[in-house]
Amino acid sequence: MSDRTRRSEPLWRRGSPWRVVAAPVAIALAAVGAIAAGRVGLPLPIGALAGAVAALLGVFALPSLSTRRVVVVLLGLAGLGALRHASYAGSDTSPLLVCWAGATLVALLLVDRTGAEQVHPLPQGAPLARRTGEVVRRSITTAVIVAVAVVALGPTLTDHLGRHVWPGLDPSVGAIENAPSSLQATDELDMTQRPRLSNRVVFTVDAPRGEFWRGETFDVWNGHAWTQSDPTATALPHDGDTTTITPEPDDVGATTGQPMRQTFHLEGYSDIIFAAPSPVSVETDRLVEQRADGTASVVDGFGNGATYTVTSRSVRSTAASLRATNALPVPDAVRRQYAQPPVTTERVRALARRITASAPTTYDKIRALESWLGAHVRYSINAPLSPKGVDVVDDFLFRSRVGWCEQVATSLVVMARSVGIPSRLATGFVPGSRDGLTGEFTVRERDAHAWAEIYFPGVGWQPFDPTASVPLAGDAATSGSWLATARHNAIGFGLLAATLVLAAVAAPDLFARFRRRRVRRHSSWAARRLARLERIGRRAGRPRVPAETPYEYAAALAVHLNDPRICSVGETLDTDGFSVAGASPSARAAADAVLSSLSP
Amino acid sequence: MNGPGELTLTSIVLFTLGAYGIAAGAATGEQGVVAVGVFAFALFVLGIVWPTVMLSGVEIDAWVPADGTVGQSHDVHVRLHGRVDRVELRVLDPQGQWWVTASPAHGVIPRIPTRRGVCSSLRIELRTSAPLGVFVRSRVLRVQLPTEQAVAPRPSAAPAGSDMTAHRLYERMADATISVTSTAVPGTGDSVRAVRPYVPGDPARLVHWPTSARRGTLVVREHEPPGVVGVALVVDLNSSDDVEAIASRAAGIGRATLAAGGAVWCCTSEATGPVSVRVVDMRDLGRRLARAGAGPVGAPPAGWPVVTVQA
Repeated sequence: MSDRTRRSEPLWRRGSPWRVVAAPVAIALAAVGAIAAGRVGLPLPIGALAGAVAALLGVFALPSLSTRRVVVVLLGLAGLGALRHASYAGSDTSPLLVCWAGATLVALLLVDRTGAEQVHPLPQGAPLARRTGEVVRRSITTAVIVAVAVVALGPTLTDHLGRHVWPGLDPSVGAIENAPSSLQATDELDMTQRPRLSNRVVFTVDAPRGEFWRGETFDVWNGHAWTQSDPTATALPHDGDTTTITPEPDDVGATTGQPMRQTFHLEGYSDIIFAAPSPVSVETDRLVEQRADGTASVVDGFGNGATYTVTSRSVRSTAASLRATNALPVPDAVRRQYAQPPVTTERVRALARRITASAPTTYDKIRALESWLGAHVRYSINAPLSPKGVDVVDDFLFRSRVGWCEQVATSLVVMARSVGIPSRLATGFVPGSRDGLTGEFTVRERDAHAWAEIYFPGVGWQPFDPTASVPLAGDAATSGSWLATARHNAIGFGLLAATLVLAAVAAPDLFARFRRRRVRRHSSWAARRLARLERIGRRAGRPRVPAETPYEYAAALAVHLNDPRICSVGETLDTDGFSVAGASPSARAAADAVLSSLSP
Repeated sequence: MNGPGELTLTSIVLFTLGAYGIAAGAATGEQGVVAVGVFAFALFVLGIVWPTVMLSGVEIDAWVPADGTVGQSHDVHVRLHGRVDRVELRVLDPQGQWWVTASPAHGVIPRIPTRRGVCSSLRIELRTSAPLGVFVRSRVLRVQLPTEQAVAPRPSAAPAGSDMTAHRLYERMADATISVTSTAVPGTGDSVRAVRPYVPGDPARLVHWPTSARRGTLVVREHEPPGVVGVALVVDLNSSDDVEAIASRAAGIGRATLAAGGAVWCCTSEATGPVSVRVVDMRDLGRRLARAGAGPVGAPPAGWPVVTVQA
């Protein structure tokens, strides 16, 4: 409100009513700071601490500005941060977003309530409800209304206004160079290199269900790397923003399966069009290229913020339906390309034959291979790399038996091909974590994955993820220890410790200053009597306005209480407080007598 | 009579966040961004609708004392109807300070009139920004008073407590802008009517020494009794831009006269026509002066010393 009485006073002043506002503001900024930290891969406590400190500094350390305005501006900045990071909040940070919203709501309620408390209460009027009760009641009511609005309008607005096609920002050279390999199209997947994984969000997906977001497939295995038999990409004509992808002729699911529409929002450079298998159309204004395996890429790549929508078709299969396909013949083209004997050692082939010997169908064979892998190998992203020149699958299955998804999936594909099952390796990302607030899937760099695709006649390509049945290796299990956690969050804990140390060091000095200020405030006779006069005035419904001098306040109170003696009290207070000699003992006694008569 | 209200900084922030969120969400299709934008926009809309709806249900009654004086505080009793957690109110005419209360409520607002006249209604402004502080909704209600209030002019400086002779009035009250002319007979109560023998207790200053010397015994003077002390105030508010000052001066003269025990006859012009009546006290005089306006002034009674106050 514009009235001068609504302006705030410096927060460090004793009894300032604006102190209560600092807490929700700090929570709001801490929540946004934590979300931002999570986005860039930093520990959440660092962002939370930075946000809270910034809020407290903004509220407490700007005495020359109106606290009300400072609080509103801080909430606005927190809101901008929430907007910036809302798209990749993810299931792990959605509670933080809800926390931000709640803290913002409470802060707004408290700001308005505190501002109202600066206005004089109506004499003989009804007192305001207790602050806590009012804020709680209004918070609940407002939160319910706003939540209903968000739930009712959010998806509707997104569907009706949401743009499903946007090329994003022009990618810079640095962005292209820094993009992880999982986001860049390649003709070769080298199994002797360790992938880079981090918590950085790479894209979000608005889709009705989670799927493997496939980027590429590989069908030629040379013992240590995957390549593509036909790496050439053909530019596709587009009709407006829609480009139709021609599926593989034998991918039955791409023609008869149920369609599923997905909208991807990229958070960095990528030239791969990720999609649930098998994509049949892409909505984008960029030039799309297609490979023979049905995967697609985009010329010149997408920039940060790019949005594209893919429609995929796939057959929702069950174990029974896949077993039933065993009677159908595999097309010759598929068998020639994907079921040729793999490059591997004889003992790998023998192992595959032994594992699948008792399995009657293709599906059962794959399940048997998955079971064997789950029982005999361990997952670890820190597994040692296979030596150069050795067969990676042989080394993995018979020597190390520790690896990550690429080794596990490759082993499944190689063993499947060893027993004549058409299969290939697919790379991309797992579905990611689903945002409880928006329903979108948040996919991070660490979600990069490789899995096997098995061909079933009459169904098409079906994904199998043998890594899911592989237990963690010992070193991965120990990564959850508090030592590992502490090491991972070393920076955050360090900052927290430094803050605590600084607080401990500064506390005695701050406490001493507080005591000195308190002593100064209450040591003089005039200060004590002024405080008493203020108490009397507050009880009488005439609190002191900050701009009033003791004399002015006493005069106003004299009118209010119809007691002219109070004027003399004001004169005595001014004389005692501002004259060299101070008030005479008799004047002090007279003022004390008046005050005592007013408030025995 | 309603005021539109006032948007606050909070509303600007929320509207910006809401508009940006929805626009950015529309551009990118990000549901999370849209959700944050809708959250901010919902708060913005709610912050406007809530106080608007709540304040629309508030009505107010008020009553004031029948008499008031310019510059002197009096209480305005107000009663608020309708349920609102928090409402601020102030009296307009003149504009006072804000007071906060919950509604329904009964309270007292101090008011200091600044203009002379008869007040039959009062403007009271209500406002609230509860609960979010997004929008300060305000309403100005003109409340009909059950009994009208006569606001008397503030008596200007006068020789209160002095013996109230018209002559002295003339000497003390004349100034450059307002003329006070008197037809009163100067000097009463000083003439010697007779002498009588001294009795113990008579003040020595009353001894009439020439007669005492002739008679050889003390005699004292007996004075004429004072004549009629009072004035007929002719308050002429025509042809002047400073009628308030004239009314104040008339009030000051009347107050001084009444304080001295004199009588006051008030000749004014009111909406009903010329008025010439005797007033018995300051309240009566105040009511006459409150209603006084431009027009033909009532004739003063015969035999009364006339004091004409005009520009």
